[in-house]
Amino acid sequence: MKLKIVKLTIIGFGGIGKGVAKVLLKKKGFIKRNYGVDLNISAICEIDGSIIDENGIDLKETLELAENKKLKKHKNWSSIIALDVIKKIKSDIVLELTPSDIKSGQPGLKHIKESLKRGMHVVTSNKAPLALKFSELQEIAKSNRVKLKYEATVAGALPIINLRKHALQINKIESIHGILNGTSNYVLTKMAEEGVSMDAALKEAQEVGIAEADPGYDIKGIDTGAKVAILANSLMNMKVSFNDIEITGIEDITPEAIELAKKHNCVIKLIGDVNRLEVSPRLIPVNHPLNVSGALNAVMIHADIAKNITIVGHGAGGIETASSLFSDILDVLS
Amino acid sequence: MKLSLKDVPGSLLRALEPVSIHGGNILSVLHSRGEKELVSVQISFKIKDQLALDLIKKDLKKQNIRVSEILLEGKRYYSKKTLSFILIGHVIDTDIRNTVDRINEIGLVSDIDVVMPSPEKKSSVMMNIDFDDKRIKKLNKIINEICKEKKFLLIRSLEG
Repeated sequence: MKLKIVKLTIIGFGGIGKGVAKVLLKKKGFIKRNYGVDLNISAICEIDGSIIDENGIDLKETLELAENKKLKKHKNWSSIIALDVIKKIKSDIVLELTPSDIKSGQPGLKHIKESLKRGMHVVTSNKAPLALKFSELQEIAKSNRVKLKYEATVAGALPIINLRKHALQINKIESIHGILNGTSNYVLTKMAEEGVSMDAALKEAQEVGIAEADPGYDIKGIDTGAKVAILANSLMNMKVSFNDIEITGIEDITPEAIELAKKHNCVIKLIGDVNRLEVSPRLIPVNHPLNVSGALNAVMIHADIAKNITIVGHGAGGIETASSLFSDILDVLS
Repeated sequence: MKLSLKDVPGSLLRALEPVSIHGGNILSVLHSRGEKELVSVQISFKIKDQLALDLIKKDLKKQNIRVSEILLEGKRYYSKKTLSFILIGHVIDTDIRNTVDRINEIGLVSDIDVVMPSPEKKSSVMMNIDFDDKRIKKLNKIINEICKEKKFLLIRSLEG
């Protein structure tokens, strides 16, 4: 098999960016043998500069520097920002992996737009640009004859969008309910299993590295709302934006309500309800497939032919999310 | 049971068959043939249980026979469903009687479980409501109105 060299640009070298690099180190040979492509990283961009090497960046060395917070010591480090790298380096695929800002969608939005306009495919884990501008981005991709793939934006490692595309082609999706945020699920699980307050459960989530220092984005349901907007557009052909989603978080759930639910053989979960374009805490029976514990995510799809399908797995984590990103990369190349 | 039948030969017989197949004892059949394409038929019968009624309804549906109304022992029969939810807020202090009465205009509050940690803290109240399946929209509307007005956090069941 003739080997095709594919150039990648990574924008954002945090947990997910590093996860992609680690997985590529591990799976490079496998991808070469099975797909006939040699994935080379031409550029890695961080907030204040970039590493560029069009012959392929040494990932092992770069990862070591990044883990020790010494990325700037890299011999190819320069202060060129991501947007200029997109303009300067012609990659085959741009991986947009910067953090989500649901108010503006930036900086991911401008990175994705610029990449698509320059004829580069985009694979992203960044929810905000798609939750805010789904149709517009799809139009730009279409008019430039490139692909925009976003499996990793919803529920990390869980294959939902590609499951629909590759395995549920003839189905009409009638409803989607999901636990789409690991932090809130971890907190609700701790409250139910250990009878602790929300503050105590959140503190523990922060200590074990599941929750951010500011967990508002997760607890208030904003993160889940962004995912509901993406699923509504991509799986149910609704033309909606994040701002159309009605969101109620879990911040006002009391230990007494959790106990009351338990007494009646139920649990309280933060559910993204795509049909209703709604995020809210809901009561579900303890034996329901969506009753998953800890930081797990779960999505239940009801389709007209296949009926109910539930998938459960890791909704976060750099390595786990890389599974979805590589699925999209290989799909772009197929 | 009131049915609407097509005015074609054999349609009455087809409508009566499911009743007798599932053990119904037919007491009377009122057949009012008018000018319209559909004929109104009222059948009175005795059955042993709810399951038999469900099976009769299912068979009639299969034959595209429309059941316009069912009266059970003189009262209007409907497909009963139960909705469960939890309210978090000052549910007792904001006149729980009023909350229940307003819900009872649409359905029937059949069970209430209250947890009140202390008078000044928010209480959590679980309610089960029996209602006619056809009135789900109205029921949700009144529950949402109450929650908005009395500042309750509503935790609906997945089906609700």
